[in-house]
Amino acid sequence: MPIHEKSLIDGVIEKEKAVVDGVDVSGRWNTFIKERLLTDYHEDFVQEVKSLQGGKTVTNCWQCGTCTSGCCLHTDYGLREFNPRYFIYLAQTGNVEELKKYENVIWRCISCNKCVERCPKGVKVEEVVHAIDEVMRKRGIAEDTPGSRWDRTYLDNIMATGVLDELGLTLKYVRSEKPADFTRGFMARMAFKIIKNGNVRTGPIRRRTKGWKKMKKVADSILEADGYGSTK
Amino acid sequence: MAQQNEKMAYYPGCSMDGLGKAYQKSTEVVFRDLDIPMDRIKDYNCCGATEVKNISYDLSVFLPTRNLALAQEMGAKTVIAPCNGCVYALARANKTISEDSGSRERLGKYLAEADLPQYGGEVEVKHVLEVIRNSVGLDAVRSKVTKPLKGLKVACYYGCLYTRPKVYTGAGLQSGKDNPEHPFFMDELLQAAGATTVDYPVKTICCGGGHTIADREVSIGFSAAILNEAARAGADMVSTMCPLGQVNIEMNIPKITEQYGAGIIRPVVYFTQLMGLAFGHSRREMAIQENLSDANGVLKRMGY
Repeated sequence: MPIHEKSLIDGVIEKEKAVVDGVDVSGRWNTFIKERLLTDYHEDFVQEVKSLQGGKTVTNCWQCGTCTSGCCLHTDYGLREFNPRYFIYLAQTGNVEELKKYENVIWRCISCNKCVERCPKGVKVEEVVHAIDEVMRKRGIAEDTPGSRWDRTYLDNIMATGVLDELGLTLKYVRSEKPADFTRGFMARMAFKIIKNGNVRTGPIRRRTKGWKKMKKVADSILEADGYGSTK
Repeated sequence: MAQQNEKMAYYPGCSMDGLGKAYQKSTEVVFRDLDIPMDRIKDYNCCGATEVKNISYDLSVFLPTRNLALAQEMGAKTVIAPCNGCVYALARANKTISEDSGSRERLGKYLAEADLPQYGGEVEVKHVLEVIRNSVGLDAVRSKVTKPLKGLKVACYYGCLYTRPKVYTGAGLQSGKDNPEHPFFMDELLQAAGATTVDYPVKTICCGGGHTIADREVSIGFSAAILNEAARAGADMVSTMCPLGQVNIEMNIPKITEQYGAGIIRPVVYFTQLMGLAFGHSRREMAIQENLSDANGVLKRMGY
């Protein structure tokens, strides 16, 4: 078969002279795809995604691409590598090798849910993409990302007293990740304004939910069942 | 004035008692003026926003369910939330509990373990914006206006999770909900308060707030797009309805000024602050000075 979209395919072989079964097929019929084996695909990958509550709908996808065409990151921001339709395709086929190339892209989903809103097949795309990310990290295909570290810092923060301490969360994350433009001066200016308003209570005087202890015990047991270590 | 017969519980969410205090103060005043009761859920907890669900599905449903169960215990049929993220999380928990029997069973077990009342997804979740527009109506708002916002051009920014996704929030499917792709409730309210609202294309774009610190490039990019489009449409200010969106755009303003110039910078305010000003309250009462961006200049010029 002639291959028209050569640029899209990995491993195209172009022969100058091609003879198949003694027949010369040079010229138009000289292009072949590198042999691929079924063993290159991890068929159980999609099952693992599906086994997560958030990834349940992964197999509903028909690959229409509505999610990608509306995606805030892909279309509005212009991060073209971020392509949820493709991530789902790779997960469905279990092409882990290709999926690994996107380990530093998938986490950047900002959960705006436009894809879930528009999907004609009822795929919870945003949750599925996060489930794919989770399975990749569980299997050791992908490393921790700023996104996953942020989620964890957030969870640890709210688990301490039941309500969020915004300033504490920001300081903790900035201290460990050091985003370039969160300089000392910038932080000081922001903190000055916020503290002057007297609205934020952080550190030992942060707000607490009454009766959180009982709730925390149950929450911790849920996290343990989900394979997440204890929260500090 | 149409009084609501059924009881509504108010779930402030963490931000309203923290960085979004100005939103809380102005919402309280607007609710008082319009005779909408504000019964807070005492001892509420964080709803988990969009972060917790990436770690544990069950916990991300359990956290908001506790608040919903407490609201039901108060005898409420509706929960009002002022933050888009909270509306999303609460509505998601509702949907999961009422439609997924497996999750409902597990959640029932968790609730019993934590000594909380059982909950089956009966309480309806509404955004403050929907409540103000629907429970009193636009005529009631118009009748309260003493200092109309004449000549003030406002770009209404709705943000992502207010109506999206409709499978959770019911937008476009139930009565009293906004249009999921082209929301207009805030435009209507501010027009009733006398302002001119501009039409601009990024009303429901993401603000990047989920990754304000984790992904600076994306967060700055989106915030700049919102301010840029608002400026292009000739708006004097941007009005928001979500503490996360507000704070995210405001925090990025210094960086946006550096990258794209001061020409596109517009002050950001909560829509309840503008409504309060139109109802005759002072800037100080509306806590305009507490916002991280400076709207005082524009408002002073307008005579407030």
